[in-house]
Amino acid sequence: MAPRYVIVGASLAGATAAITLRDEGADGTVTLIGAEHEPPYERPPLSKAYLRGDVPFDKALLRPAAFYAEHGIETIFGTRATRIDPSTRIVELEDHRRVPFDALLIATGGRNRHISIPGGDLEGIYGLRTVQDADRIREEMVPGRRVVVVGMGFIGSEVAASLRQKGLDVVAIDPSKTPLFRVLGEAVGQTIADLHRAHGVRTVFEDTVAAFEGTRRVTHVVTKAGLRLECDFVVVGIGIEPAVELLEGSGIHVDNGVVVDEYCQTSVSGVYAAGDVANHYHPIFDRRIRVEHWQNAIKQGAAAARNMLGNYVPYDEVHWFWSDQYDANLQYAGFHMKWEQLVVRGGLDSGSYLACYVNGGRIDAAVGLNRAKDVRRVMPLIKSRHAVDLEQLRDEGVDLRSLHASP
Amino acid sequence: MAAEFVTAIKTNEIPAGGVTAIDVRGTRIAVANVGGTYYAFDDECTHEQCSLSEYGELAGTTLTCTCHGSEFDVRTGNVLAPPATVPVKVYPVRVAGDALQIEL
Repeated sequence: MAPRYVIVGASLAGATAAITLRDEGADGTVTLIGAEHEPPYERPPLSKAYLRGDVPFDKALLRPAAFYAEHGIETIFGTRATRIDPSTRIVELEDHRRVPFDALLIATGGRNRHISIPGGDLEGIYGLRTVQDADRIREEMVPGRRVVVVGMGFIGSEVAASLRQKGLDVVAIDPSKTPLFRVLGEAVGQTIADLHRAHGVRTVFEDTVAAFEGTRRVTHVVTKAGLRLECDFVVVGIGIEPAVELLEGSGIHVDNGVVVDEYCQTSVSGVYAAGDVANHYHPIFDRRIRVEHWQNAIKQGAAAARNMLGNYVPYDEVHWFWSDQYDANLQYAGFHMKWEQLVVRGGLDSGSYLACYVNGGRIDAAVGLNRAKDVRRVMPLIKSRHAVDLEQLRDEGVDLRSLHASP
Repeated sequence: MAAEFVTAIKTNEIPAGGVTAIDVRGTRIAVANVGGTYYAFDDECTHEQCSLSEYGELAGTTLTCTCHGSEFDVRTGNVLAPPATVPVKVYPVRVAGDALQIEL
């Protein structure tokens, strides 16, 4: 019998896997199951162009709605998968349907972390993950209204920028010293803080939200340090948790997401995971990494599909993402946790730089502000794991491509 | 107006492996030099309108828009990698003496 390929999560990773299975000639059925009602769509516009009303939702669709049926992909949208039983090879759905599989991909992504403080259930407090979330925020976006953005990670930073671009009055709060502090560190984070302040965001760092106040709807945000900020609404962006509850009792190894090897396979043969939910072994960095970005969703989704087809292709992509804020283009490539040296091309205060996170003379990761080409050119240096000449790396007169061949 | 070949730029002004933009009859067009073969296309990524002469990185006939990573085949304009989904418009070219002519 032809194999049954089942994908749980009609996400960017899941849908890309379904498309890749068909593109690569899968002989069998392909079933894509998703909790959301819409056909699979891309989330990057939700905090940027779509949130600002610059592009319609159709532009965010990964493929036109009719594509899936036309390409032999069976879809079950608007229905959550609730349980996986690897021994009987069955996925159970919330409507009690049972879907049998031979190979399964888990691409359920994540869900927003919730803030559990007094007033957290008042009206006018929003998270952002789905198109409905974006639509709810859009309805509040009237120029001149006052919004408090809680959390200045990538989502908070992009939302703060979009809201300022639409003429709202924005206060941004984060417990760290700068935006994006955990990933980029203080020196780079400070440049992002400056960017937001230059665009009129009032920033509150090293302080956290203690309570939301209001009778039915939020009217004030109170911080631990004692600020009491009047507001019309609040957007909370404090990160996600991998959506793994359907794995409970399955025996599939879960640790900060679904643990997979470099072939995207879980601890159970024939069961794979990709995208935000997958804590994957990365052969280049020799450790497990879980990544919550667009490029990883696409590339890992495709890699998982190829491995489901038995191709045994290790997934060793250098992770990369962009974050457009105002007219600035921020990009990051690689992976780093800590660093011995921060080697900078250009000036951190110049509005255009490439900052490389270096350990043992090797570039583990790099972030560029308005340095798109340099980010692209540094990626082979990251992937090679070779030590590079740091003076040349710093020297604006040296084309980064000339460093690719150095031993 | 019927399409015709218009002299656009001297070929020695397009560096090998590089992309240069020019205005031809009011249209901003990018020209790429791939080992002495020239290709012309709209100087605008179909994803979010980044200038392909400014942000484009050429490797063989593959042009990467480094803004957001979209890849195009400069011979056909076809998308090789997302986030772009729409091909970039390409124009026929010919070399006349030391000049590159573009049909539009």
